[in-house]
Amino acid sequence: MNASYLPSDYLPVLIQLGLALGFIITTMIVTHSIGPKRKSQKKDDPFECGIPVEGDARTPISIKYFLIAILFVLFDVEVIFLYPWAVNFKGLGVTGFIEMVLFMGLLLAGFYYIIRKGVLKWE
Amino acid sequence: MLPIILLSVFGIVLLFMGFLKSKVLLLPATLVFILAALATTFMDWGKTYLYFQNMLLTNNLAILFTTIVLLSAFMVVALSNSFIEDEQAQPAEYYALLLFSLVGAIMMISFENLIMLFVGVEILSVAMYVLAGSDKHSPRSNEAALKYFLMGAFATGIMLFGIALLYGATGTFVVSGIKSYVYTNAYGVSLLLYMGIILLLIGMLFKVSAAPFHFWTPDVYDGTPGLFTAFMSTVVKTAGFAALFRVLSVSFVGVYSFWWGTLAALTCLTLLIGNVTAVYQTSFKRMMAYSSISHAGYLLIGLTALGTQTKQALVFYSLAYSLATISAFGVLLVVSRQRQDTNGVNENFDAFNGLARQNPLLGFVMAVSMLSLAGIPLTAGFWGKFMIFTTAADKGIYWILVFAVLMSTVGIYYYFRVIIAMYFREGAAEPVKVAPFYRYVLIAATILTLVLGLAPGLLEGLV
Repeated sequence: MNASYLPSDYLPVLIQLGLALGFIITTMIVTHSIGPKRKSQKKDDPFECGIPVEGDARTPISIKYFLIAILFVLFDVEVIFLYPWAVNFKGLGVTGFIEMVLFMGLLLAGFYYIIRKGVLKWE
Repeated sequence: MLPIILLSVFGIVLLFMGFLKSKVLLLPATLVFILAALATTFMDWGKTYLYFQNMLLTNNLAILFTTIVLLSAFMVVALSNSFIEDEQAQPAEYYALLLFSLVGAIMMISFENLIMLFVGVEILSVAMYVLAGSDKHSPRSNEAALKYFLMGAFATGIMLFGIALLYGATGTFVVSGIKSYVYTNAYGVSLLLYMGIILLLIGMLFKVSAAPFHFWTPDVYDGTPGLFTAFMSTVVKTAGFAALFRVLSVSFVGVYSFWWGTLAALTCLTLLIGNVTAVYQTSFKRMMAYSSISHAGYLLIGLTALGTQTKQALVFYSLAYSLATISAFGVLLVVSRQRQDTNGVNENFDAFNGLARQNPLLGFVMAVSMLSLAGIPLTAGFWGKFMIFTTAADKGIYWILVFAVLMSTVGIYYYFRVIIAMYFREGAAEPVKVAPFYRYVLIAATILTLVLGLAPGLLEGLV
């Protein structure tokens, strides 16, 4: 614990907060008071330009997209572990190698499991 | 810490056993796996060990709590023979999730580092969220899973915030490190520590469904398939109280005067809400949900009156409560499935009408379990309550004692409604069919309840 900070040391943070808030509030008040106001059907659309909105956001989407997305994240994150291991391969030695083989074994077991479960089948 | 590794590996093995054509092997394999984990738990008996770079600490108390958790899980799994006939069920995944959640429970019981507490709570909870929604085609099950997940995630967030504040105050995540911080700064503890304690307590009390963080309990317990409700109300509660006890008795015992008042107020609120609301239920399963809230209240008395007797009382009470709850849910499962009404399974009190005449054994098992939950002498529940009340008397907190005794008389009313329905009401003529193994499990739980009721000294001196 570093106890040498005084409350006054945090003053810049407070000033920053005040400035950020002040900027937002000022711009909102100024734009609302001096900007011209026009209302029309097109103006009230969520997207003023581009493709016209169709239906609402609650359309059912096939569960397969979510499964693929979540599997992508899973394997993507696990691959991240390979980089630091590869860089420190010599330093970690045999213990590191065994641990990595275990890790990859579990990973491949999961991969085999999802293939057998038919998660990757897209009909 | 072999059980943690074993249960994780066994869980993965079970997932792959699901690819076998026949599902017959799954149930016995799961039972053997849990027994193997239970056997390896006792390897550390009588010693105190730190594991995984001081992340976990095992001692006799942790081993006893682990035993209760694994025993409950064993009995719940043993009651799950209906999965084989059910076309929709996916027993391999259910059993694997149960084993994974046990890993989380053991981590919650034997954590030495608050990070491990958090990881344990998450492992346990995530498995439970999935199992709550395992009846995919029932809207109530889906509702239960969603409610449990949203509120549980929120509570975990609060708990994590509390842990972060504790780190900010003490500079350590280690339970004994926080203890030494509290003792070295006895007169000038950082304000962050107090906030951290309160937030951590909120998160944990949510998991054990203490009032006023209990609102999820009735809906989730009601919607979850009965078997997993039994698991939830025994394993999760035992692990939650073991975690609460460890963190309160080791880290925060130095600031007892700060948190005991809060905990005492919550205890009384939990007892009041749990017991009084249970009276108004028509569904037996919902009544059991409120009863589990009220039992969280009794267990909280032991923590409020933290003393030398507390750990023994908590172990005994958790064991008595788990045994009685599992046999009650065991009877409910088989009765509700075979005495269906227009809405499918009948989980109301009237499903038990006349049960004792057609099935004397089921009636007796249920009666003993209800008597134990109500705390009638000659059952384990009586001695559980006795020990809990003794801790409060030792500490001199008599008003909480009087209140708890009053509330347990309210409890007698709704537990006896089941007994009255079974013994004094006319019901369906045909008896309920019970598989032999199912019957043995119920008999074993009942015998254990009675043995602990007749000889409560059996567990004495273990912790």
